[in-house]
Amino acid sequence: MRRRGSSSRNAALLAALLFLWQTAGPALVFGYVLTYTVGDLRLLPGQSGGTACPHLNRFSTTTAGVIDRRWSTSLPVTILTANQSPSARLDEIEAALQESYSAWTGVAGTTLAAPALAPLNRTGTQQACQFNDGLNSICLNQSDLLFSGGVLAFARVVTSDIIGEQPFPNNPPSSFIGEILDADILLKPGDSSITFATPAALGSNPSAFDLESIVTHELGHVWGFSHSAVWGAMMFPFAPPRGQFLGERPTAQLPDAPLSEDDRTGLRVLYPDPADTLHIGSIEGRILPANPLSLAGLAGVSGMFGAHVVVVDDATGAVVAAALAGWSCSGAGPPQFDGSYKVERLPVGPDRRYRVFVEPLDGPVVAGNIATTTESLCRNQGTDPGWPLPQACTVPEVNSNFTTRVRP
Amino acid sequence: MKTLMQRIGAFWIGALLGAMAAPATTLERMPLEKLTSRADAVVHVRCLSNESRWERGEIWTFTQFEVEEALKGVAPRLLTVRLLGGKVGHLISTVDAVPRFRPAEESILFLERTPDGAFTVLSWAQGTFRIRRDEHTRRAVVTQDSAGLAVFDPARQQFRTEGVRNLPLASFKQRIARVVMELQRKGQQ
Repeated sequence: MRRRGSSSRNAALLAALLFLWQTAGPALVFGYVLTYTVGDLRLLPGQSGGTACPHLNRFSTTTAGVIDRRWSTSLPVTILTANQSPSARLDEIEAALQESYSAWTGVAGTTLAAPALAPLNRTGTQQACQFNDGLNSICLNQSDLLFSGGVLAFARVVTSDIIGEQPFPNNPPSSFIGEILDADILLKPGDSSITFATPAALGSNPSAFDLESIVTHELGHVWGFSHSAVWGAMMFPFAPPRGQFLGERPTAQLPDAPLSEDDRTGLRVLYPDPADTLHIGSIEGRILPANPLSLAGLAGVSGMFGAHVVVVDDATGAVVAAALAGWSCSGAGPPQFDGSYKVERLPVGPDRRYRVFVEPLDGPVVAGNIATTTESLCRNQGTDPGWPLPQACTVPEVNSNFTTRVRP
Repeated sequence: MKTLMQRIGAFWIGALLGAMAAPATTLERMPLEKLTSRADAVVHVRCLSNESRWERGEIWTFTQFEVEEALKGVAPRLLTVRLLGGKVGHLISTVDAVPRFRPAEESILFLERTPDGAFTVLSWAQGTFRIRRDEHTRRAVVTQDSAGLAVFDPARQQFRTEGVRNLPLASFKQRIARVVMELQRKGQQ
């Protein structure tokens, strides 16, 4: 890591002293904007996982074809294709969906590779995205009762906080805390002001949203991502304007072209490939106020919680990874809000140099698109009666009222 | 070469310049005027409690609020908002950008009626504005959920923000009042 910076006039604009340094750090520190589940410690360790440390939400990828996939061929008129014949229309949409999947499975250094996915099946069921079927489905025409105004698409992801949960009789029970048991993607149907176009049809329908970009983004949620705050990342919550697509279109040689490096790094953290020898670097540290008294009154808080840490490749200027920082966890837990961050799965090599940018969150900690992530870090007797006190914690509120300065 | 602090500080300039001309994958971009126009009610509320339960094959979270002020429309003193997702038993249903609330938390919500007459938050994160009061001065500021996290712009190597962020509560209410008056003048409400 290349350290830089000193106090500057800009410091007057901000509000606490920020230290940034490299450290051995605690045993377990998470970064990225991913989603987590804390096991239910009121149960035996065999079911609870035995720790109050949050577990990443993700699929099991241990067996070939373990992640089933299907999409509903029930289509609203708001899905636009270049070819209008019924069968070619389905083929064109399916090709876009396949490319969206391939964008993620094309990332090197992960176990979320094509063999982990079952074939993409079709179903004629109109309401195919049911919570209780255990099937990972994409629905373009499902009832809009689930939508709110202005919501174009969403992914609903089902996990469990115990090992052995079997909500779907046809599926095996959960084998780890946070295992994704069902994940569906729904696009808003039936609103004539909102249309989606396949890549082939987008050029002639400039007022349509790019189907491929939206499905690729929603698939990120399916794999376990929350939203990224890196402009241009696939997991950035805002898509390109109507008529445009995000990133590059995929090719046979570069199926993951639509993704940013931030997306790829996050996927490597979620589904690390033990055989990967390139993406094994990490940068970690803590973000602390110069004056510890500024944290007085915040129980269990010993560092700044809620900072956006961005790692930039010094040579290219590209964002390699970003993390939501400020906590760590080890052993039996619970998380400690000590200002820790760790950005993992960075490519290593003699010419690799990185710069780190830090910006504190602004506003209540539960704010924004990271609410799900932050709120899932802690459980306590208020959220779960009978929760063991030593493993209880409460996500602190962010104090953005500080001035920053960088050392050394 | 800029120092890190100069770069971090520069995001404030970006914040002033930055307005994303982008709709959303999950959310269609809705400026305050559009949110106000589309909302059936805009209310200043305090969260009382949450309950997640099954309904029509889905897990929903029902949050009860006490209404402190209706800025648009008519709202009962106590109202319940229904939002997709939540936790029942050992199953957790997660939908990104759906807001969650803590008891005692204050917020301004843009509400819409669902076809079955319940309330939900219009456009989820975009229709949720959290209120934070300085513990010493009690000065209240408002931040929109979709604006809580500073965005890093790789091209400019800067953080930037968009939406409503740390706006004084009184100013925010005045903005809403102006929009409501303008909508009434145009006969749209």
